[in-house]
Amino acid sequence: MKKQKPDNLRGFNPFNQLPQEIIFTILDLLNSNPLDIKSFSLACKSFYAAESKHRTSLKPLRQEHLPSILSRYPNIGHLHLTRCSRVSDTCLSFVSHACASSLRSIDLSRTHLFSASGLLGLALNCNNLVEIDLSNATELKDSAMAAVSQAKNLEKLWLARCKSVTDLGVGCVAVGCRKLKSICLKWCLGVGDLGVGLLAVKCNHICYLDLSYLPITSKCLSPILKLQHLEELVLEGCFGIDDDSLAVLKHGCNSLKSLDVSSCQNISHNGLSSLVSGAVGLQQLTLAHGSRVTSSLADSLKKFSMLQSVKVDGCLISYDGLKTIGNWCASLRELSLSKCSGVTDEGLSSIVTKHKDLRKLDITCCRKITDVSISCITNSCNSLTSLRMESCTLVSREAFVLIGQRCRLLEELDLTDNEIDDKGLKYISRCSQLSNLKLGICLNITDEGLIHIGRGCSKLLELDLYRSVEITDSGIIAIAQGCPGLEMINIAYCKDITDHSLLSLSKCSRLKTLESRGCSLITSLGLTAVAVGCKELTKLDVKKCPNIDDAGMLPLAHFSQNLRQINLSHSSVTDIGLLSLAGISCLQNITILHLKSLTPTGLAAVLLACGGLTKVKLQAEFKWLLPHRLIEHLEARGCTFQWRDKVLQVELDPKCWKLRLEDLMP
Amino acid sequence: MDHRDRQSIEHQKKDPQQHPHPCFTNFTTHHQQQKWEDPSLLDYSTRIEPPFQGFNPNCQTKSSFPCNPNNQIKVPDPIMNELLQASKVQDWDPSAMLNNLSFLEQKIHQLQGLVHSIIGRGGRVLGQPDELVAQQQQLITAALTSIIVQLISTAGSLLPSVKHHTLCGPPPAASLPQFQAQNGGGNSVPELPNTVDVSSNSGEQQNHVMEEHEMKDEEDAEELGENLFPGTYEILQLEKEEILAPHTHFCTICGKGFKRDANLRMHMRGHGDEYKTPAALAKPNKESSSEPTLIKRYSCPFAGCKRNKDHKKFQPLKTILCVKNHYKRSHCDKSYICSRCHTKKFSVIADLKTHEKHCGKDKWLCSCGTTFSRKDKLFGHIALFQGHTPAIPLDETKGPTAPSDPGDGSEATNVVGSMNFFNFGSENGVDVKGSLDDPAAYFSPLNFETCNFGGFHEFPRPASDDSETSLAFLLSGACGYNNNNNDVERS
Repeated sequence: MKKQKPDNLRGFNPFNQLPQEIIFTILDLLNSNPLDIKSFSLACKSFYAAESKHRTSLKPLRQEHLPSILSRYPNIGHLHLTRCSRVSDTCLSFVSHACASSLRSIDLSRTHLFSASGLLGLALNCNNLVEIDLSNATELKDSAMAAVSQAKNLEKLWLARCKSVTDLGVGCVAVGCRKLKSICLKWCLGVGDLGVGLLAVKCNHICYLDLSYLPITSKCLSPILKLQHLEELVLEGCFGIDDDSLAVLKHGCNSLKSLDVSSCQNISHNGLSSLVSGAVGLQQLTLAHGSRVTSSLADSLKKFSMLQSVKVDGCLISYDGLKTIGNWCASLRELSLSKCSGVTDEGLSSIVTKHKDLRKLDITCCRKITDVSISCITNSCNSLTSLRMESCTLVSREAFVLIGQRCRLLEELDLTDNEIDDKGLKYISRCSQLSNLKLGICLNITDEGLIHIGRGCSKLLELDLYRSVEITDSGIIAIAQGCPGLEMINIAYCKDITDHSLLSLSKCSRLKTLESRGCSLITSLGLTAVAVGCKELTKLDVKKCPNIDDAGMLPLAHFSQNLRQINLSHSSVTDIGLLSLAGISCLQNITILHLKSLTPTGLAAVLLACGGLTKVKLQAEFKWLLPHRLIEHLEARGCTFQWRDKVLQVELDPKCWKLRLEDLMP
Repeated sequence: MDHRDRQSIEHQKKDPQQHPHPCFTNFTTHHQQQKWEDPSLLDYSTRIEPPFQGFNPNCQTKSSFPCNPNNQIKVPDPIMNELLQASKVQDWDPSAMLNNLSFLEQKIHQLQGLVHSIIGRGGRVLGQPDELVAQQQQLITAALTSIIVQLISTAGSLLPSVKHHTLCGPPPAASLPQFQAQNGGGNSVPELPNTVDVSSNSGEQQNHVMEEHEMKDEEDAEELGENLFPGTYEILQLEKEEILAPHTHFCTICGKGFKRDANLRMHMRGHGDEYKTPAALAKPNKESSSEPTLIKRYSCPFAGCKRNKDHKKFQPLKTILCVKNHYKRSHCDKSYICSRCHTKKFSVIADLKTHEKHCGKDKWLCSCGTTFSRKDKLFGHIALFQGHTPAIPLDETKGPTAPSDPGDGSEATNVVGSMNFFNFGSENGVDVKGSLDDPAAYFSPLNFETCNFGGFHEFPRPASDDSETSLAFLLSGACGYNNNNNDVERS
């Protein structure tokens, strides 16, 4: 008996007893971090198999790996090929056979090379395909749409910027994909009234329709408004639609919940009222960059009691207009007045005192408002979760205390370019739910205030300290210690920051984006610490950090395997450091301007070695120094070059920089 | 089954309507008639085909007769072609007419000989069974009918008396159905192995009827507003031969035919001064027009047609011209083929000319094959019909193949190519008006969706670079798909 026991134990794997459902539940919870899932699958064979079965979504980096990946994961339902800059028809045909029945959605936006035949294979073989995203496939023509139209079960189709598609292609889709629910035709400049009209006639289930910037007139609106299930209609920048043609419309759409007519200069309140007539359930309305917001326009929307969100960004707005909005029967949840000229304390106060339920308020660049408005806002809208008030320069530093005192539920706060000081920050640190805080160009704040934030706002995910020059290491250390979940931090041009900050930030293991432009004191040592600690780092900007050299690149290449974007301009990195970056398979976007010791041969080696590059920013002189054939080869591989020829500018003193910024403003 | 097999079968199916059936080849008279007939007569001929089929074996048994028409009526083919030409052109062509005349003369002469021989032999073969006598009668009647038909087809340009003749005598059209019935009833004739032919014929008949409802003739439009109560107008019904005769007004002196009475009156001036008087030149009806006359409306002689007076929802035709156009468009073969696209067919030459004016300019194409000169018309059409899609021009689909991906480039083209072919192929299948030769397809305008990729998967076919050949393949191939599907849909 005793002898057998160890044998039994050896063969006994407690995890084998776990039912698959439980393992899948565990995996569901691990989903937030890809590295966790990776270590899970590498634990043992059974876990590896379980993870292979569990995974339904894939985002591969290279199309070459697709065959092996797809044979490992048999149940892929969602395939994002956005990171593969080139996806060939062969590849798509492989996908169509490998995930014939499981594939439900495929995202091909930002990829190129594939053509109609690849799409046809997908459409024919994958019966359960309901979502296709073909955005930015500018070279796709109507034949590709004819192929897509064979996907009979398609419900969602994104064709943004498919500029070569015409009415005929959309007509094919309309006839073939009768179950279509959502379709985006934004910037499909070849599509007009006929295609859109046919779409509305044939596909009765459409509930989301994006027709932004299409050369359509109101001819196609009549069938669109007859759609029984239409809930969201986006008509941004449809200049062909005007009041006169809208007046002819006999009926609105009853089911409409969201309407976007931004940048439609030719629609005034008359046209708008005929467009939304009957839409009793209207909840969202976007009128950005449109005609003047007057009392008559506001009046025409008076009766929509379900209205929750109104965006009038960039409109000329009158006091009467603001006052009338204040008298609406609906209680707004979201109001956006960013860059509206004409927003005054009086007008804004009349709105916020009536709409006490406001959750989101955007008053970016409303330069006329003062403490009075802030006082009103904080007084009546206590449940604000998002307040964006960039460049409200007349608001004094005392007003920010009120925000911290009264709006405790704030999650997003944009105070860029404001007069806030440490006292204000101290009160704002009371907003314990704060996850996104922007304090760029706040010249009055120091470490003292930031330490308060670090203590109070432990849920902070994003912090922007761009050009808040008084900040030093102690402030950043407080943030790094107090906000362990930090994902994004911008310390650009905070010139006093040293490696100590980076060392402390390396404890924030979720950090994805680090921008430290112009921090001339940081060295490769600090960068090494970040590379070792922050394994999820995807974006790194160390432009104008002259102390960053090859020594920082080597650990980066070794530890930051998720790095996708890097800016090394004006640093001391040489060919060798760059070449080591080739070890990062994710690396796609690289900016290397003004690298003193960069040689053409070294650069050529780097470019060849980094196989996944899609975008490279280079000094224009390299265009002539690099072999032409090499550039052609790289372009064929899916890499685009951006040649820059900017003269090196001397960095200005921060105060001086801000003064110049204000001079530029109108 | 291979694609080409299907194709060939399809050809066989279609053949009987276009070419003489192999069975007819020794019955020369019929053979000739088939070739000779005026395009506008095609419809007529298809309907008299069955009796001749029944007749065929009889002829073969009678071939021992000394004066069998088969042996003597043979007219060299070139002449026949000429005749064909002449009748197609429908213009005054003396040489063609002479040929016609001599041919008819010859034929009547032969018939005379035949009857003579029967009479001559009558005494000797008294003991012959009744069956044989009946067969002889049938043979003669058939020969007569064929002569009459030929007479009529050239009647306008030949003798004015022919017109009287056909009007007074029993109209051949009326006699034909009886004839058919006789044949069907007397089951002495063994069944011919050409069932395909019969079925296709019946299909065609159905096709006509169906088409009747779809046709949107100009007459239709004209009469939409007209609410004439039955009985308030006089119904005239011309016989089909009359309708199809190229000319209706004949000079009593020289026999020349005219389409319009006015032209005849102008022509008459050449025959003498008595025709130059204002009275003779005036419209003959003018004088009597002062009397209250019943409004005249016309009925189509085609039984079952909505324009036929026996139809439940009879809609009369307004003028003789309407009758002519209606009859040709609805009940005749479309024998005028557009010289530009070689696909569009018409039965009225004016329609062809109208089409040819725009042919090639119609760049908006539907999957059903209908072309449109304007994009909005195409989209209106697609919005109206289920399953129709805009067809993507060939040149575009051939274009986008991955250049830097040679591995699957060829495969890719094939797939896209065939997809597109399908699009084009289906045009034949679903076409409402142009598919006379494919009656089965007519009934399945919806099978586009169901058939498409079933067919496509089964018969992958390498795309050929020659667009002409690939198109040709399509035209026949598509019919295959459609027939195939039609069966499914019917069951």
